[in-house]
Amino acid sequence: MTLTPVLSAHWDEADSYKIAGYMRNGGYTAFKKAFATGPDEIISLVKDSGLRGRGGAGFPTGLKWSFVPQGDDKPHYLVINADESEPGACKDIPLMMANPHALIEGVIIAAYAMRANHAFIYLRGEVPHVFRRVNSAIREAYAAGYLGKNIMGSGFDLEVVLHAGAGAYICGEETALLDSLEGRRGQPRLKPPFPAVAGLYASPSCVNNVETIANIPYIVNNGVDWFKSFGTEKSPGFKLFAVSGHVNRPGIYEAPLGITMRELLEHAGGVRDGHKVKFWLPGGSSVPMLTPDLLDTPLTYEDIAAAGSMLGTGTPMIFDETTSVVRAVTGWLAFYKHESCGKCTPCREGTWWLSDVLHRFEDGHGTEADLDKLIDICSQIAGRSFCALGDAAATPFPAALKYFRDEFVQATNAPANESFDPVAATVFAGATR
Amino acid sequence: MTVTTQTVTVTVDGVVVEVPAGTLIIRVAEMLGTAIPRFCDHPLLDPVAACRMCLVEIEGQGKPQPSCAVTVSDGMVIKTQHTSEMAEKAQAGVMEFLLINHPLDCPICDKGGECPLQNQAMTNGQGETRFEGTKRTFPKPINVSAQVLLDRERCVSCARCTRFADQIAGDPFIELLERGAKQQVGTSEDQPFDSYFSGNTIQICPVGALTSAKYRFRSRPFDLISTPTACEHCASGCALRTDVRRSTVMRRLAWDAPEVNEEWNCDKGRFAFPYTSEGRLTHPLVRDEAGNLGPASWPEALRVAAAGLAGIGKSTAVLTGGRVTVEDAKAYASFAREVLGTNDVDFRARAVSNEETAFLANHVANKPMDVTYGDLEAAKSVLLVSFEPEDESPIVFLRLRKAALSGTTKVFAVAPYTSAGLAKMKGTLLAAGPREEVSVIASAASHLSGDSVILVGERAAQTPGALTAVAELAAKTGAKLAWIPRRAGDRGALDAGLLPIDGRNTSEIVSATGSAVKGLVIGGVSPEDVDGDLLSAIDKAQFVVSLETRHTEITAEADVVLPVAVVTEKAGTFRNWEGRDRSFAAVIPTPGALSDADVLGELARELGKSLSVSDFWASATKPALKADAASTESVGNGQAVLSTWRHLLDKGSLQSGEPYLAATARVAVVRVSPATAQKLNLVDGGTATVSCCGNSASAPLIVTAGMTDDVVWLPANSEGSSLNLPSGCVVEVSQGGN
Amino acid sequence: MSKVPQVIRGFGVTFLSMFKKVTTEQYPEERDKYPPKPRFHGRHQLNRHPDGLEKCIGCELCAWACPADAIYVEGADNTEEERFSPGERYGRTYQINYLRCILCGLCIEACPTRALTMTNEYELADDSREKLIFTKEDLLAPLLSGMELPPHDMAPGTTAIDYYEGKVGSSPTPTTVKVGDDK
Repeated sequence: MTLTPVLSAHWDEADSYKIAGYMRNGGYTAFKKAFATGPDEIISLVKDSGLRGRGGAGFPTGLKWSFVPQGDDKPHYLVINADESEPGACKDIPLMMANPHALIEGVIIAAYAMRANHAFIYLRGEVPHVFRRVNSAIREAYAAGYLGKNIMGSGFDLEVVLHAGAGAYICGEETALLDSLEGRRGQPRLKPPFPAVAGLYASPSCVNNVETIANIPYIVNNGVDWFKSFGTEKSPGFKLFAVSGHVNRPGIYEAPLGITMRELLEHAGGVRDGHKVKFWLPGGSSVPMLTPDLLDTPLTYEDIAAAGSMLGTGTPMIFDETTSVVRAVTGWLAFYKHESCGKCTPCREGTWWLSDVLHRFEDGHGTEADLDKLIDICSQIAGRSFCALGDAAATPFPAALKYFRDEFVQATNAPANESFDPVAATVFAGATR
Repeated sequence: MTVTTQTVTVTVDGVVVEVPAGTLIIRVAEMLGTAIPRFCDHPLLDPVAACRMCLVEIEGQGKPQPSCAVTVSDGMVIKTQHTSEMAEKAQAGVMEFLLINHPLDCPICDKGGECPLQNQAMTNGQGETRFEGTKRTFPKPINVSAQVLLDRERCVSCARCTRFADQIAGDPFIELLERGAKQQVGTSEDQPFDSYFSGNTIQICPVGALTSAKYRFRSRPFDLISTPTACEHCASGCALRTDVRRSTVMRRLAWDAPEVNEEWNCDKGRFAFPYTSEGRLTHPLVRDEAGNLGPASWPEALRVAAAGLAGIGKSTAVLTGGRVTVEDAKAYASFAREVLGTNDVDFRARAVSNEETAFLANHVANKPMDVTYGDLEAAKSVLLVSFEPEDESPIVFLRLRKAALSGTTKVFAVAPYTSAGLAKMKGTLLAAGPREEVSVIASAASHLSGDSVILVGERAAQTPGALTAVAELAAKTGAKLAWIPRRAGDRGALDAGLLPIDGRNTSEIVSATGSAVKGLVIGGVSPEDVDGDLLSAIDKAQFVVSLETRHTEITAEADVVLPVAVVTEKAGTFRNWEGRDRSFAAVIPTPGALSDADVLGELARELGKSLSVSDFWASATKPALKADAASTESVGNGQAVLSTWRHLLDKGSLQSGEPYLAATARVAVVRVSPATAQKLNLVDGGTATVSCCGNSASAPLIVTAGMTDDVVWLPANSEGSSLNLPSGCVVEVSQGGN
Repeated sequence: MSKVPQVIRGFGVTFLSMFKKVTTEQYPEERDKYPPKPRFHGRHQLNRHPDGLEKCIGCELCAWACPADAIYVEGADNTEEERFSPGERYGRTYQINYLRCILCGLCIEACPTRALTMTNEYELADDSREKLIFTKEDLLAPLLSGMELPPHDMAPGTTAIDYYEGKVGSSPTPTTVKVGDDK
């Protein structure tokens, strides 16, 4: 399958991030079309397109929009989740660097469809360069009259606020993001009520991923049939696949959903020379790892689920045989322990405990009995925690144990750094030899 | 009004029940007698589903659900830990997680023996730990206020305390900080947890993370003998539980009274009890011929008292104070009117007026349960007149805040400025200084209807015409009217007839002592409370009998001192502001401890008479209510009209001996409006001195926006302010302090 | 033997006994000759850490465990100025009523810090009820060399945990310590 650059079509142009560059390539035409079509029609259009959320869960976007009650007298809010913090995920940030106006135009259309006059873009705080870039794009859009009061004489008002988070993984969870946006500690909220009913400032809100919303102008401009011509029936469209890890050309590859990992690997120049795939993750650290024999699985929501993992953010990570599974899993768990918000017991204490035991394995002090204990701890976190962070934290270890039990057994008497030279797994490995 | 509740049918552990729609699963299980373990769940707080202890299986759902946060729906099939392996395993897992970082210091923990975590770990937990790492530690304990201590190691992050502070008390001075396993309760650097309700967080903490400085290490649950009691500190009428170890009160807890205090109380009711054992009178005292007060036997003291009172009979006045029980109040009423034959009897140890006497006789006395806490919650609007609920009746405050937050009730207050309490009730200020009150009350009709309640405080007696205006307002709008005094015994005393119908009121008694009034019988009165010089009146009196619990300025001057029992030693009843009787049992049965009624009975017998139980109000002639003339004293240069009330935690005699509680009291401040500050040359943040008639008090000045002009506010009888003048006085206000 | 008269045979037992070893123990004259068994449950002792701080934390678990309700404890706060034990809490009041105590030893099993142990001391009789209520002063182990009378600070740089783990000095064997006979 070939690459199909849509969002990323013009990233190589010098001014792709400026309004002029975006407009030269047909930007800011879709929202005018949308204004002429009508809000309910836009919601049906997005529903018909079959676009699924690109933030990880893959929930149908049009359906999500339709949950926002219409005709009530409360203000509606559109919130863009740009808190991309998943280990291995790096797609929204390049998108906002190279093509921020697609996001802004998408925001205009989405806000118009759900009758929101206020949109917030919640950006993770560690990326000030992205903050500056999106901010100047918003300024350009205001200057051009695409944002603000009575946009292009349509009578539709929209204010867009860019908000920088303080760097917490949990704030990628939509309700925690809303809490954080309101100025509280980022901790997930009890659902129901769902954000569509009582979200930001207890008003109907919709939280969408950056990539999802950036798709909207292209769908509006080119139509449902064009969009559905990419991908599969259940996973239509194209996706920014951010391939990272032990590949020759890590980067972002935009391709239709349904491309296989093997094909993507070829586009990315294959695994590092002289190495072969040991395991791979289809979308961030929160999804179970897969083995090389599943490289031909089409990257769709349904096929990856059938293979025992999840498409997640669609940002595959490739690990070659120099990688210590023990070290990788321990690292991920250290991340989850650090990022657990502390609200619920299983995640707060469970990640702390998992990380504690896994560090023993990394140091070569684990026991085989500990492996059963770790599995048990994971089973007591998954499905018991308040939000999906707990589930995510309980994911890496069981999959790793399933495929690489030997390595954990080895780690009962040898530190991971002895079994696997940490330097060999690095980018600069060749240089040191 | 009939409320048709929609019901749904659900199955819990195979038992089919019909319950109101919207009930939480955990409540349904409780109705069936199934205890689902829980930590964060509290019936009076919003669900948070943080601890995950109460997970149950719901058929058709792949993962266990928190029963404290999921409401039932029709046909739902719920399996608790008793029938579901999934629920049982999930709960065991959560219990294990909770314990991995919990310290093993149960032996020194105050909660040990009554700890939900300990109990549930013993019932459901594993005997052996699988945790081999090092537990997370914190330095312990730390103060979140002078009274409340926090041990962060023990905390299970259930957020009960922070939710209580935020949702119930409205004092969100504690909050969860940090994240992950380092999450902890904390305060702002410059704002300790000085809430009037902070003690409740200690009681609802499901582990020993929050403890009180007062009870710290004092005893174990199995040492304690618990008695249900009623609070003697204010007219709210809280149900309490008093715990005693070896005849010493160790602690007091808020007890369950859904119609009154729900499950809360204030810190004064919780911690202010050392007075019951300090400086007590142990035997009667009689003044001998040389004028020295010396110990005497009961028969001798009663004889001397009877002889002295017999000599002056009708010229004796009786002052009881507001701390009497209903039983004692009836005894005082009978003793005064029937044994002594005097109508000079008054329970009001404070500024009084004859307008108030008439108001109380006509609108309050003997009308129990006219207005209740439930009415406050159901009212569309509530008007507060001369009444600051947070300081003067804290449970009324909590109920009003609950009603206001639920959106059913609007609160309006006739007050000089928007107090913190009023803001917490989302109330609207109808700004009025003492001089404007009457006209503002009259114009408040637009906020009231037949579904409204007017709450008038005892301070209304300080404003001539206010009570008449209130009565007229109630008649005009159809709003219900309730009077809320400060002291626990006031309502009972009023109903018993301790009001000077055809007699002299407190101020008149004080000024007439030495002439028309020759003798005094004084119960629990603090001289500084009375508007007038009670101590010099005692000097002038021919004969003074004092019934007291402790040595006071009055007992030092009395001719006969008869020791009486404190609340812990006697059974009795307080009648709260609603007119609801709050009975309590003797906590420490003490041989020889006589209640006021017992002593008065003996005294009556000595006088050859006996006390009767008659209904005073059945035959009383109620005086007509008419407004007293307003003050015409002019406000000159450098002067302002004083507005004042007491903070909840003040220098009251029943709060002595509890330094940790006193340290959480609000500091006195002087408040004036911006215009008045300019006029009087006062600087915000500086010190201002308020003085009148030779008394003065200095406190930091806060220029308060929205406050009535030409009014200065200062708390009475509080730490940092000993100025005890009624509102309405014209006082000098100057920059700088002494 | 049947020829020997019954009477003589009876006296024969008596006569033989006169040459047997006497089993009567002379108490109190020869008390030290017959020490109790090493595991005998005698009167209690409140032990000290090697630097003299008390091991008792005033937790009352001994009182809770006591089937005869013979123990009375009141805890209190260690302060910066007055420290009697490592950690937060110490036993301010400690009483054992030996008129009630049945010397069953459940209290020492309950003690979480090994503060309470039992000595071999068995002479628990006196001429008044008051004297048989032993107070903390009576029960505390004597100060050995290297011990300092509390209140005093914990050893510099140590925590309560170090004390519980026996890292502060070395502990003497509590049962070999002879308690003062002044009672």
